[in-house]
Amino acid sequence: MNGLFEFLFKYRPVLYQEGDFSFLSPWPLTTAAVVAAALAVPAVLTYLRARGKSSRTDRWVLGALRGAAFLLLFFIVMQPGLVLTSVVPQRNFLAVLVDDSRSMTIDDRDGTSRAGKATQLLDPEVDLVDALSEEFTLRHFRFSSRPSRIEGPDALTFDGSQTRIGDALTYARDELQGVPLSGIVVLSDGGDNSDEAIGDALLPLRAASVPVFTIGLGDEEMEADVQATRADMPERALAGTSTIVNVIVDATGYGGHTVPIVVEDMGTIVTTEVVTLPQDGQPLVAPVAITLETPGTRELTFRIPGLEGERVLENNVLHAVVQVRDRTEKVLYFEGEPRYEVAFMLRAVGVDENLQVVLLQRTAENKFFRRNLDDPLELVEGFPTTREDLYPYRALILGSVEASFFTHGQLEMIADFVSERGGTLLMLGGRRSFSEGGYKGTPLEDVLPVVLDEPRQNTPTERLARVQVTPTPAGANHPATRIDGSAEESAVRWDSLPPLSTINIVTGLKPGATQLLEGTVVAGGQGEAANRVVMAYQRYGRGRSMVLAVQDVWMWQMHHTVPLEDQSHETFWRQLLRWMIAETPDPVEAAPAREAVEAGEPVTLEATVMDEGFVEVNGARVTASITAPTGEVQELPMEWTVTDDGRYTVPFTPALEGIYEVAVSAGRDTVVLGTGLTGIRVAPGTGEFRDPHQRRGLLERIAEETGGRYYTPETASQLPEDLQFTGGGVTVTEERDLWDMPILFLLLAGLLGAEWGYRRKRGLA
Amino acid sequence: MLPHSRWTRPAFVAAAFAVVALIGAVAAYGRNPHPKDSGSPTPSPATAPAATTAIPSPPIPLQRPEYEWHEFYFTRAIYSSGWGGWGRGGNSWAIDYPKSDHQFVTVLKRLTNLDAFDWDNAVRLDNSMIRRFPFLYALEVGSISLSDAEVEGLRGYLKAGGFLVIDDFWGSREWAQFEYQMGLVFPNNPIIDLDLDHPVFNTFYDIEEILQVPAYGRYWRGGQTHERDGYEPYVKGIEDHDGRLMVIINWNTDLGDAWEWAEQPDYPLEYSTFAFQMGVNMIVYAMSH
Repeated sequence: MNGLFEFLFKYRPVLYQEGDFSFLSPWPLTTAAVVAAALAVPAVLTYLRARGKSSRTDRWVLGALRGAAFLLLFFIVMQPGLVLTSVVPQRNFLAVLVDDSRSMTIDDRDGTSRAGKATQLLDPEVDLVDALSEEFTLRHFRFSSRPSRIEGPDALTFDGSQTRIGDALTYARDELQGVPLSGIVVLSDGGDNSDEAIGDALLPLRAASVPVFTIGLGDEEMEADVQATRADMPERALAGTSTIVNVIVDATGYGGHTVPIVVEDMGTIVTTEVVTLPQDGQPLVAPVAITLETPGTRELTFRIPGLEGERVLENNVLHAVVQVRDRTEKVLYFEGEPRYEVAFMLRAVGVDENLQVVLLQRTAENKFFRRNLDDPLELVEGFPTTREDLYPYRALILGSVEASFFTHGQLEMIADFVSERGGTLLMLGGRRSFSEGGYKGTPLEDVLPVVLDEPRQNTPTERLARVQVTPTPAGANHPATRIDGSAEESAVRWDSLPPLSTINIVTGLKPGATQLLEGTVVAGGQGEAANRVVMAYQRYGRGRSMVLAVQDVWMWQMHHTVPLEDQSHETFWRQLLRWMIAETPDPVEAAPAREAVEAGEPVTLEATVMDEGFVEVNGARVTASITAPTGEVQELPMEWTVTDDGRYTVPFTPALEGIYEVAVSAGRDTVVLGTGLTGIRVAPGTGEFRDPHQRRGLLERIAEETGGRYYTPETASQLPEDLQFTGGGVTVTEERDLWDMPILFLLLAGLLGAEWGYRRKRGLA
Repeated sequence: MLPHSRWTRPAFVAAAFAVVALIGAVAAYGRNPHPKDSGSPTPSPATAPAATTAIPSPPIPLQRPEYEWHEFYFTRAIYSSGWGGWGRGGNSWAIDYPKSDHQFVTVLKRLTNLDAFDWDNAVRLDNSMIRRFPFLYALEVGSISLSDAEVEGLRGYLKAGGFLVIDDFWGSREWAQFEYQMGLVFPNNPIIDLDLDHPVFNTFYDIEEILQVPAYGRYWRGGQTHERDGYEPYVKGIEDHDGRLMVIINWNTDLGDAWEWAEQPDYPLEYSTFAFQMGVNMIVYAMSH
């Protein structure tokens, strides 16, 4: 198409876009117009006055054709032309940026790698470079995670772990700040994986009128590829906890194929989940249940074996670092009356050495029974009245206890326990819970994930309903409700469990809440909703709130239809409690700014430091103790960031590949505030192979926003000429004739030919 | 049942007294107070006969007109007894029933904030509905003679998480019968002594001494607290393989009688107090351990 245009109009479209149209004839336009009219008018009048066989229509047609031919001649005589601004040869610089990242090693459909194509385009012996060199002084840069100047394409290694196009553009502009820069040429697949918005880097280039010309490398579509896109792995887990990790899988060209997702813990296979790949464009969320037994900083690998015809295998693997803690986590269970739920729940979790459910049970008015204490004085005065007493617990369970038992301050403290401390609140069903317990209008009403109705005036017996409990779609693959190894086995278990009872009428979820279990009324509950919320949760501030609006989960243990060897009841409580404390933060929390880095790549270690009341501490003494894979320990003092309360950072550059274990300890004066553990995985990244097709959209956007153009390797030969007229730097104004465009002569011949043809047809010749 | 009368004519008085005494004795034999010193032979455990008396199946609360939902139902075990002849309907399970149950629940509700059903609830061991009531009370087990279905039902109940309180059986012969029957239920779970430092003795009340609670009738007849050769009271237990206490055995003592006759002015407060304290402790323990 462009070739036809160029043939007819003499030049490529880009010149018309960049240039200004003008008549180059020395004659003034008005004078020429008068002369033309003087010639044209008699001719037209002659046509109009002529008589004979011609009709009026014939005369008008012939007159119009002749007039148009005159006008075209006039146009040609006036010497139409383009006024262009072109760069001055050898007076300007041109930056050539080459993507030096690993994704450039991906082979395209034609068997040539992107790197190979880039090298070929930049070969000095090839016309492109030759043409560019004739006009510009070339400066080569490479970029991946960091940009740098290179002498030529020979210095490219294509092993960079990231593609940061924005940084590269900024770097090149800064490097060539003092010289006339005509433009920047970028050779890349566009797989930018930096966190910064590309627009921030383009704005200065637009302001400086430096266009960017992008040459897109790589196939724009991958016809056959499987990618493990993301694994929603928690940062920490309690040893022995069965965790469900949602692995997101994208696949192209393999819809309906079954593949295994193999999970490895430090190289040892811990589980394999077989999934069916989705159709193109539909991501698959595959819940994979894993149990982490070994404490410490663990590297997990999620791997999908390569399929036949797959060209990119590097994106079949995901890595995650998780802190597996082998410690006892305390949960406070406050029960307002003697209830079987207490005994059965404590028994269910009693064998779990990582859970310590501290029981405070009101057995009579102002009389409490305590169990599983660390200290004989623990909770000796009843429910905590200060944050310092409540916040050591990681989760709080409220049983059948009325809101009026608490002071307003205690209710606010419980709300803060969730929102500020980051703990989890679980309210159980019972005659003194929810609306029936008077919680409507209290600070806890806001915290709970369900809507509290006005309390009913009827008796508990009248409200009693038996509900068959089933997981919602969200609950089917949620760790808190996974009561058996796989989703299928768990579903079978749920179907086999007997109904439970509830006297709380909980039907409404708050916006943002997630329902995990629903109950269908199978007996009782006349006049009330047939579907009940049994279990739901929501995030509230830093923590989570949860409800379990039934009162006899113990029936899953005692009911005569449940086999004695069935572990559903035990598993349910253990999974639920472990999930409740999984994300509860410690006073000192540490994490690297990026979970995975490469050897020699700097990373910022971050820590959040709070006191026992979970108030941020700014003047703390914070030290990061970093243990290298070799066992060598390095201690780095961390500095308060000043901008954020309680936040401390220190830069760190790991030298070796492997897992670095980091322990951040904080203290103030003589008080130890705590220690936060984290890990850094140092290894070659696979991020470059995520979505391995060419991101043409990004490359086109870069070009459009800066006034440049996008090219494929096949059209890159146009670049030198385009640069000549679209580039910045030192330029001159240039005029190009258009009067000799073939289209004009073809048009003139066409008009005259049409007149002759018309005459012949009408018998006027 | 307590024949206190004054008569003016000695002969009539003597005759009447004798009749009344006989009636009282018969009544006592048939129902309460205790007939265990009647001298009836105790069979050897190895030759324990099968139950000879059909045991009843009263409706559980869910099936009764006065049904109300509550957290706790004081549930009495209906079991087969070997040779009949005493207890309501010839069944020893029904001794003190239902007055003892009603009175205990009344006091229990006043002492604790437990949400308890006001009435009695007797359930057969071989009734699957028993699993709805994790607390179970059984007494007069000296003549217990469980059918296979009852053995199976009780074993499943306790293994699933149920809690059984045994009360009111005396002496070595009744112990032997009970021990034999429990051996059928749990062949590999020994009966152990519960010392005073066991949590069951301080879950609600701090109990520092195990008293021998006498049957009212026996105590009234002369202050005797023991029966047969059951001179020393014991609190024993059976644990599962995880150390969970499944059964509490009150041997050589009669808590149920103290619950039943606590309102009598001449019943010693010391015993009724201990019986209620022990009963409350056992229930709160069952609901928190």
